[in-house]
Amino acid sequence: MDKEALKKMFDAVIEGDTDALVTVINNVINDADPLQLIQEGMMPGLRKIGDMFSTGEIFLPEMLMAAEAFQEGMKVIEPKLLASGQKMESPGTVVFGTVMTDIHEIGKNIVITLMKTHGFNVIDLGANVSPTAFVDEAEKANADVIAMSSLMTTTMTYQKDVIDYLREKGLRDKYIVLVGGGPVDAEWAEQIGADGQSDSAVGAIEITKKLISSKKGGSR
Amino acid sequence: MVNFIDVTDRAATGPMMLQKDYDTKVFIPALRRAIKKYDIKYDRKEMVNTDDGLADRIFEAAVDFYSEVGTYITDTERVIQFTKPEILEAVDDAPKEAYFGEGPDRCVMKGRLPDSDELPYCHVGSGTNTTEENALRLVESYARISKAKTISIPIINTLGHIRTAAGAPTEVFASIRAMQYGREGSRRAGRPGIGIIDHVSSASTGVSTIASSAPQFGARPSDGWLVSPFAELKTDYSSLNQTAYLTAWGANIGQEAGPILGGYAGGAEGLSIVNTAYSLHGILVIRATYHLIYPIHMNFVCSSQPDVLWATSASTQAIARNMRVPYYTLLYAAAGAATEMYFDEALACLLMLIASGSGIEDVHPGKAKITDGCTPVDMEFTCQVGHACKGLTRKEADTLLKKTVPKYVDKLADPPLGEKVETCYDLDYFKPKPHFEKLYTQVVKRIKDDYGINLYPYMK
Repeated sequence: MDKEALKKMFDAVIEGDTDALVTVINNVINDADPLQLIQEGMMPGLRKIGDMFSTGEIFLPEMLMAAEAFQEGMKVIEPKLLASGQKMESPGTVVFGTVMTDIHEIGKNIVITLMKTHGFNVIDLGANVSPTAFVDEAEKANADVIAMSSLMTTTMTYQKDVIDYLREKGLRDKYIVLVGGGPVDAEWAEQIGADGQSDSAVGAIEITKKLISSKKGGSR
Repeated sequence: MVNFIDVTDRAATGPMMLQKDYDTKVFIPALRRAIKKYDIKYDRKEMVNTDDGLADRIFEAAVDFYSEVGTYITDTERVIQFTKPEILEAVDDAPKEAYFGEGPDRCVMKGRLPDSDELPYCHVGSGTNTTEENALRLVESYARISKAKTISIPIINTLGHIRTAAGAPTEVFASIRAMQYGREGSRRAGRPGIGIIDHVSSASTGVSTIASSAPQFGARPSDGWLVSPFAELKTDYSSLNQTAYLTAWGANIGQEAGPILGGYAGGAEGLSIVNTAYSLHGILVIRATYHLIYPIHMNFVCSSQPDVLWATSASTQAIARNMRVPYYTLLYAAAGAATEMYFDEALACLLMLIASGSGIEDVHPGKAKITDGCTPVDMEFTCQVGHACKGLTRKEADTLLKKTVPKYVDKLADPPLGEKVETCYDLDYFKPKPHFEKLYTQVVKRIKDDYGINLYPYMK
């Protein structure tokens, strides 16, 4: 595999330069292993961006541009990846939304973008998501995690409703449930029976990885 | 100024686009262009901006930027747009004074210049989570602070054992109850006319705001109603409905916004422009008679972080020098109440605001996340610092911040949780409990010894 092409892909992801990334991929795709293009070209760039965000070197706009370039690159690579029968490894699938009656999305969007740089498969349900929709979507996606954001005191209560609904359906132990947002703290998370909470996007990634690892290790 | 009816028409007829496209294809590129075109740079040498030229360029950049991005309305998926001449006309026409309260407690909030000798506007209270059993006493304790011109009142999020929920009847009841506690607490403090200017913190929907604002529950047009956007520069019909109602009533409307450093605004330079653009949005879309901003850092979830302090100082000066609108700022400390770190963070925030031309509100402890996490001591401290530091210049503030900020900056990621009000403050006697009084006495002494700031004696 052309090392120079992989380096160009890495750089293009970091720069958020979709045109440059797609051009490099198109130049090599016919003779390349598609999984290698992703794992050795684009993903290291995305991981680097995630690290730079975590240390405060860059902010959401740069991370969004990188994630967008990555997605466009994937559109070119995916048909060949599917044809080859290979699959990308992911640390887990997360169903993520802002709870019912709350239409604030920025906190959720920041965490989702950072999760993608860490390779998570994230399904963004958007805002004003009902408790039943959270659970139905998690079931459809065979998700590992249900993550809920809430910016307002008066909407936090709908985080509890999702957990209550999971219990009613006998599904509570199937999912890791994470909560976050402006007024959400550890005391609230414990009170409603969530598995974890974080004040920041970086903290959310750490706790998601930790809980998935525990779950897969069977210690949860 | 463009009429509010015309604004609502633009909300229904402006360019239509997906919210995601507004964020990534309109907002972010326009902000980047504005930063570059107006040469907005943060060199980290100053914690408080002292450059008038930069402050004025930030204002010009904000006008340019806002004329490109406007305000996105989520219900119609359209952008409410304004031309530069319309924005500048609105700046000229915007109210330069806001009158709050009744009788002897009536007061005025005005714009104030950086380095001004005028006393900063002192507002206290907290529109944060509070248990119902503490709410009335807390309001009374806020209104008892004699140097405070206006107060905020707590969020009521429980009705007995029932937790309130947005959009539900419980929210309507809780909003009404908060309004009643606010007025009754003020009466008990002997200040029945004091203006309450954070209506209605317990309401997240237009219907709860309007329902609880009926005069029979104690609301007066001389109070103030905060109408909030979504990050960044987005609104919805629920907010515009509040504006429609309040405008028709002739009530004070406050533009509030909490831009995020690290979010769509990017770093300190972008945040300074977005902070300023919110005031333009405020006068045009929300029809604001006063303005409140509360920027935070994305990772630390507080405002005392140096980049946020600088951006806030620069945008405050941009607004103070070019708009002169009634303006105050609420900042968040990472450390919880009744901790030494909290007072270091609060002092840094307040000094920056006083020198930059903003009105001040008590810095909220514990990122404002903790139920019953704010204390009346924080509020008295705010007034003490405001009165002691009247006339503080930006250069002096910058020098002081370079001594204060290093005391806490390395602890922002893991701050002390602090205490809840009932463990450190006696709500029957309205004074700090002995251990908190001891800490506070030490803090006051240290502020005098280390910075030469002599605070007036604490209310007994």
